[in-house]
Amino acid sequence: MNAPFFKFGLFGDNMSLVVAFLIGIGFGFFLERAGFGSAKKLTAQFYFTDMAVFKVMFSAVVTAMVGLFYLGWLGILDLSLVYLTPTFMMPQVAGGLVLGFGFVVGGYCPGTACVGAATGRIDAFVYLLGIIAGIAAFGEMFPLISGFYNATPMGQVTLPQLLNIPYGVVVFAVILMAVGGFAGATRVEKMMAKRKEVQPS
Amino acid sequence: MIRFTTTHYVALVLVGLGVLAAFAGSPYQGTRYTVDAKELARVVEGEVDHVNPETLADWIIQGKADFRLIDLRTEPEFSAYHIPGAENVTLTALPEYGLTRNEKIVVYSEGGIHSAQAWFLLKAKGYRGVYMLRGGLEEWKDQVLFPTLAANPTPAQIVEFAKMKEVSKFFGGSPQAGGAAGQEAAIAPAMPKLEMPQSAQAPAGAPKKKKKEGC
Repeated sequence: MNAPFFKFGLFGDNMSLVVAFLIGIGFGFFLERAGFGSAKKLTAQFYFTDMAVFKVMFSAVVTAMVGLFYLGWLGILDLSLVYLTPTFMMPQVAGGLVLGFGFVVGGYCPGTACVGAATGRIDAFVYLLGIIAGIAAFGEMFPLISGFYNATPMGQVTLPQLLNIPYGVVVFAVILMAVGGFAGATRVEKMMAKRKEVQPS
Repeated sequence: MIRFTTTHYVALVLVGLGVLAAFAGSPYQGTRYTVDAKELARVVEGEVDHVNPETLADWIIQGKADFRLIDLRTEPEFSAYHIPGAENVTLTALPEYGLTRNEKIVVYSEGGIHSAQAWFLLKAKGYRGVYMLRGGLEEWKDQVLFPTLAANPTPAQIVEFAKMKEVSKFFGGSPQAGGAAGQEAAIAPAMPKLEMPQSAQAPAGAPKKKKKEGC
């Protein structure tokens, strides 16, 4: 069977919802198992005492990237059928900053807030209320910001297309970044642990 | 002296995969397609490979931008008249034209033959969402630009015709036979009024530039 399964008609619209539900459950389960249902674990990232968030994110990126590359290369996956979100440079930079700001303030990101709420954490529920309020505010403000929302469109671009270098070279570069990042993160964790030992005395 | 842990091995394997990837070439070769004759036949029989002229007109009026409309005729024909929003691509240029496999593509030609050939060509190349405009531009003219009321219209047909009249006006066409004049329409079909190309050139309010957005 060729992938992506949905696009090749292995299952229809209804079944896709069931599949999405199962994947969502799995996603939430492993986030919780990794400790990401707790705002303490997540905010430790911003104090550099626990770099788990960085490591998890980067391993997800690398796993997906290597998987997509080699599955495409082997002819099992048709990469051209994988949906790409169109790039709108400035609005997405702004949106990223807003999301990061909310992450620092609230101690969760949208996904982990759902995980935290599922295990009954009150701060996660408050965060979810904030998300809903934010969505409503965005919806009401939309006529005012729709110009910026659609600004600097770049279409569906990928790094290999944009930089005009072979796909595999980008894969290699990102892997080097990830391995370097992991080593750096572990070193930072050790440094912060040492500082903590010194401080109390 | 570094002691090797699992983490180090994982990192090494990763870097190895990365080096390999750098020399592996493009992953975009896609899967090998075998044209499944039976499946294609089923699609054709079920008529799910078609888009009605009415449906297409609806999409355009609503300003939908989730599909590409491809006009397969020659350039003079295209500049004389084309459905609003269409892109002119000849059959020979089609394989190299910038279509991606995850787009909804509607092809049309004068009748149905060229669009059927284009449909098959794209299907064989692994494009998933390819549709033909049913009956081509001829049926577009008959049903959307110059709709005609049947000789002895049923109430449902009259309602339908009233709706199509509005649609027709949107595209700059002219509905044949208004309201009660059923017999007249039967005797004099849409033919005489085929000077439409000029009048229908640029219908007001039709979306000009499409914004390609996904789901």
